[in-house]
Amino acid sequence: MSTPTAESFERLKCPWCQSLNERAAVTCRACGAPLDAANLISESGWRECPRIRDMTEIHFSSSTCQVEGEIVPVAEINLSAGDAIFFEHHVMLWKDGTVPLTLMPLTGGLKRAFGGMPFLISVASGPGRIAFSRDATGELVVLPLHPGMEVDVREHAFLLSSHQIQYSYVRIKGLCNILFGGQGMYMDRFVTAGSPGMLILHGYGNVFERTLKPGESIMLEPGAFLYKDSSVTMDVEFQKLGAGFFGGATMSLARVTGPGRVGIQSMYVHHKTE
Amino acid sequence: MFCENCGSKLPADANFCVTCGARTTYRDAPAAPGPPAPAPPTAAQPPVNAPPAPPPPTAAQSSPAARCSWCGSPLAAGALSCPGCGGKVSEMAVSTRSGWLQLPGRKDMAKLQFGQSVCQIEGVYVPVADIRLAAGDSVYFAHHVLLWKDSDTVITTMPLRGAWKRMFAGMPLIMTQAEGPGHVAFSRDAPGELIAVPVHPGQSVDVREHLFLTATGKVLYDWFNTNVWFQTRNGDDTETHYPVGAFMDRFSGSSQPGLLLLHAAGNVFVRTLGPGESLLVKPTALIFKDPAVQMHLHFEHPQSGFLSWGTWSNRYLWLRVIGPGRVAVQSSFEQLEGEARNIQSASYATEMRW
Repeated sequence: MSTPTAESFERLKCPWCQSLNERAAVTCRACGAPLDAANLISESGWRECPRIRDMTEIHFSSSTCQVEGEIVPVAEINLSAGDAIFFEHHVMLWKDGTVPLTLMPLTGGLKRAFGGMPFLISVASGPGRIAFSRDATGELVVLPLHPGMEVDVREHAFLLSSHQIQYSYVRIKGLCNILFGGQGMYMDRFVTAGSPGMLILHGYGNVFERTLKPGESIMLEPGAFLYKDSSVTMDVEFQKLGAGFFGGATMSLARVTGPGRVGIQSMYVHHKTE
Repeated sequence: MFCENCGSKLPADANFCVTCGARTTYRDAPAAPGPPAPAPPTAAQPPVNAPPAPPPPTAAQSSPAARCSWCGSPLAAGALSCPGCGGKVSEMAVSTRSGWLQLPGRKDMAKLQFGQSVCQIEGVYVPVADIRLAAGDSVYFAHHVLLWKDSDTVITTMPLRGAWKRMFAGMPLIMTQAEGPGHVAFSRDAPGELIAVPVHPGQSVDVREHLFLTATGKVLYDWFNTNVWFQTRNGDDTETHYPVGAFMDRFSGSSQPGLLLLHAAGNVFVRTLGPGESLLVKPTALIFKDPAVQMHLHFEHPQSGFLSWGTWSNRYLWLRVIGPGRVAVQSSFEQLEGEARNIQSASYATEMRW
């Protein structure tokens, strides 16, 4: 987008991703959020992820993504020549026969395989069409990333990312976070360096986002965590339930502390404690 | 008249096409703007078009004494959603021709009031109950449904009697309690509907296990033995199955009204049975019932002497519910374990051969 001048007052700012849109726009060009519907914010401060209308088109670099369906939405990408996206191979739904796939070279592949993360990240290059979806009811979360942004995502939750974004992973620190955090050893980390990119996640159930102030913290069911800014810290804490004879159960909750955004999914991934 | 779907010739008063089963729309289409009045079976005559609708289809606007069709809470004139259960006023009283009342749709972010506290229901696929507890108010829940909470909302445990029996029955051994002031939010790990059931003083509701999400501290909690079971044999192994669970939760209103939140899979329907009226339902589809509603097993068998039919025929296993009282069912239900095996003995059951 151009520099903010008086002209920008005549544009519509997307309440979800802050991109500027033409006044007549009905959906945001960059993230697909409806611009004519009110933002749904709960009294406690959670903002519901915008429900992307069926067949909405989203633009990134010179390609487009069309969101199809509402219960298990499909992200159908029309890649132009020169653009590429990367993803985990199990989310691919269909593609044109001519779209070439390659593998992204990753360091520490063996460690990742032991950590249960996808060993391989696939890359699809334009021109051509390729579509993605996940295996359960949920919502797409479209996060346009601007240079300098760093987002951490629950493992296996990312659907696809444009090639401008750098992919890495962070090892979750602390043994108890790994064992009781309900999400394994690694988190995906997406960093934008030079030019803006687009990241699409699939959250199970409904997705909500909240911005935490510096030092503000809330307790989450660990299986509900979906994404966070890298400035937000996450630690698992135990709450002892019941005492004495039965020994009680212990409940593990993740304490997330601001500053930054944190996103949750309402159909949490259930981790067995017994 | 001709069927709009397949073109077959039909009698003038047909509700359905006899060839393809399509509903004949000419009479139903005009009813779209408002929910069809809960008019009992009288609606069978075709001339009853949409226009004669002076009775109360959307009762809320018409009289200040209107009540929610689902939970019975009084509705203020002009209210868009029910303060007791969050149901959309415009979608109330949608009932099927057989008498099932559908749970009214809910506006995203609808708020329910209980005591000084507020519960906001967020999301549509896997709804979240986000509760702001006022000081002095509390809710209790099975600990695995907690989604998030303020870091200073206090959670403690509630001792339950008969904990051993509950543990063997696979029910939550402990109930967890959250006390105000502060926020606490709950959801389940499957798509479905969130059902708000206000519990008035002196009233009780029996809920099938694993459907309970949370209840306000004023609601009394107890559980009872369902005494609905059957045993199957496989070689030397005898297995006991409980189609509606070995135990059922019973929630009762104390001196003050309370709120009970349940999570059901799929869509939810409720029906009020008259005294002695009975109905066969799939055991795993049952959500809740009034305590006055009795239940027992019912088997149906084909009229055949073949031994090999034995195991197959047991698949017609029903739960008979007998009024008076309400019965609620969900449209998505699990397969009943042991249904297809050879049933040796069972709790009291009726039987029919066809």
